[in-house]
Amino acid sequence: MNLFLQIEKGIFIGAMVLYLISMVLYLTYFAVKLEKPAKIANLTTVAAFLFHTAALVVRGIGAGRLPLTNQYEFATSFAWGICLCYLIFLWNYKFQALGAFVTPVIFLIIGYAAMQSKEVHELMPALKSNWLAVHVMTAIIAYGSFGVAFAVSLMFLIKARAASQVFWEKNVPSERKLDSISYRAVCLGFLFLTLVLITGAIWAEAAWGSYWSWDPKETWALITWIIYAIYLHLRISHGWKGKKAAAFAVIGFICVVFTYIGVNTLLPGIHSYA
Amino acid sequence: MKTKQTIKNLLFSMRTAIVLLLLLTIACILGSVIPQGELEAYYTGYYSGTVARLILLAQVDDVFHSWWFVVITAALCINLLGCNLLRFPVLIRQMKEGYTAEKRMRADDSSDSVCVSDAEKLFQRLHFSKTETLEAGAGRKFLYGVRNKGGIWGAWLTHLGMLIIILGFSLGQIFTEKYSVYGVAGETLPVEGTSFEVTINDFRTILREDETVEQYVSDLTLTDTESGDHVTDETSVNHPMEALGMKLYQNSTGWAAHVAVARGEKLIQSEILCAGEHLTVADMPDLVLAFNAFYPDYVEVDGKPATASSALNNPAYLYTLYYQGRVLGMNVLKDGQPITVDDLSVVFMEPQQYTLIQLKSDPFTWLTLVGGVLILAGLFLSFYLRTEELWARELEDGSWRVSGYSRKGGILFQERILEMTEELTEGDKKA
Repeated sequence: MNLFLQIEKGIFIGAMVLYLISMVLYLTYFAVKLEKPAKIANLTTVAAFLFHTAALVVRGIGAGRLPLTNQYEFATSFAWGICLCYLIFLWNYKFQALGAFVTPVIFLIIGYAAMQSKEVHELMPALKSNWLAVHVMTAIIAYGSFGVAFAVSLMFLIKARAASQVFWEKNVPSERKLDSISYRAVCLGFLFLTLVLITGAIWAEAAWGSYWSWDPKETWALITWIIYAIYLHLRISHGWKGKKAAAFAVIGFICVVFTYIGVNTLLPGIHSYA
Repeated sequence: MKTKQTIKNLLFSMRTAIVLLLLLTIACILGSVIPQGELEAYYTGYYSGTVARLILLAQVDDVFHSWWFVVITAALCINLLGCNLLRFPVLIRQMKEGYTAEKRMRADDSSDSVCVSDAEKLFQRLHFSKTETLEAGAGRKFLYGVRNKGGIWGAWLTHLGMLIIILGFSLGQIFTEKYSVYGVAGETLPVEGTSFEVTINDFRTILREDETVEQYVSDLTLTDTESGDHVTDETSVNHPMEALGMKLYQNSTGWAAHVAVARGEKLIQSEILCAGEHLTVADMPDLVLAFNAFYPDYVEVDGKPATASSALNNPAYLYTLYYQGRVLGMNVLKDGQPITVDDLSVVFMEPQQYTLIQLKSDPFTWLTLVGGVLILAGLFLSFYLRTEELWARELEDGSWRVSGYSRKGGILFQERILEMTEELTEGDKKA
């Protein structure tokens, strides 16, 4: 197992460095206003994602299970999920300026992961379930999508202030389009967050005999769900699009980060191993 | 009439739903930040007098069972129910009459309309397989297509699912029967308040090579003493045993010991005592022995008792002895080492793990699952089967002016039309 962990460590550092390079290149693209650094950054982000995937796979092989059960594994998977969603949105909507806002988030989260203990622990009996993979994978996609929505919303808010700058006009989609993309990212995240809550409830019923226990992690996942539900309702009923919706998506992501990382350290409960 | 409308707005509006969701969020934050279900003394000790009084008065110490939390949830249910009842006929009407070619032909085109030479091709490319053709006058045609009409049911289904989940959860709170029994292998334990009894045939902890626990397994027989029916099976964490309408969960485990109490040479009491339990001496009720904790591999760390491993290498027992409610003594005992009080002696021995089994019967779990599936189906319809309309007017020169509308697709649908139009125009140029 040690050999696998050594290899994983190397690949993980490689991924981190590549994310850093991507971030710098995307920011350079914004600073020098030239297309080339962004094009290279797209490639390095793909490379970073491949390294990151390889690190997770190697860790999974070394641990003999899915690497989704402790703070390090959660944080690194969270960053991986954001990168996956970013690449999907990049491929779908072809706007690379988003990278300048997504890669710093990825880098911060993977940096947080790097500071956690990388020790591999055997699974406690409650975690030995097929539901683990479904539950955590859906959480990764949900939170990854919210991460992208956060970055797009941040772009929206900045663009609203820097509307007159030519570079922003030329390289960043219109505010209407940013709003639509952010909405779509929230929709994807919301659907998957619902899946997280449902799969978690089914699993909890089998493991603890109760599908809902008001454990802090459960409660904060529900809080996040309600916040995004309010966002969706406000869009329909009060026409909350544009700035207000963007600000709400930013608040929603703060809630996501707290649910994913903050709850485990500040509010102990039956999810404390996570 | 006006009052009726005001009440309807107040109860069933989306504004009310948003306010209720916000209140629910605040309640959840309070319930997760402030420790729940502690004794009154905890709050008075931990918080200042006023805050502690407020917490206790407003039932913030038990948010999720407080009257106001129940009121918010009930109001949300009424809102959802009202919203769905009001929306139902509207949606039916919309399905029947909302999307018609005639309606679109009469209305103005959107400002984002585009021109193409072959409208039918564009309709096909945008996956509008069924189109309607109308005569628009002067020999010109009008093409119309609509797809994903079912998408309008998304929010309705999601709300229905929410209602069913809350209903299932509430019914579960009322009708769920939960019991627990604990004991060591060989014991038969009555399930209080029922006609069931549980026999623990065996209990084992499966360890890995590194001594971490892989699984806890209890081999049980559940017997209905009234009917005589019985079922023998295993239960382990994540794999509850199902028998006689009950589910039996491997809930937790701990250590128990055989405690022998003797007066002089005569054995007066012999019991299995679990850590955390206490024993009242049979011929001296003022004397109580509490079994506080067990250390299978006893070591001292900074002067405090601890265990080096989970293996039974050096078993030790932490006990407290009370006489008339006052502490008489507290110490750590080795296996077989006696505590003596005058001619009375107490010995802890034969440590073994006990198993705690939770029995549950919840006839409404399926309802919650149905609710979950409906929510997912509703969200999928809402987000990924967005209703889209596409129409085209034939112009004088034989080309077509195409417009589209999607309430939820918004600008991205318009852009798709534009992209596809550009592709077709490029294709035409090349041809």
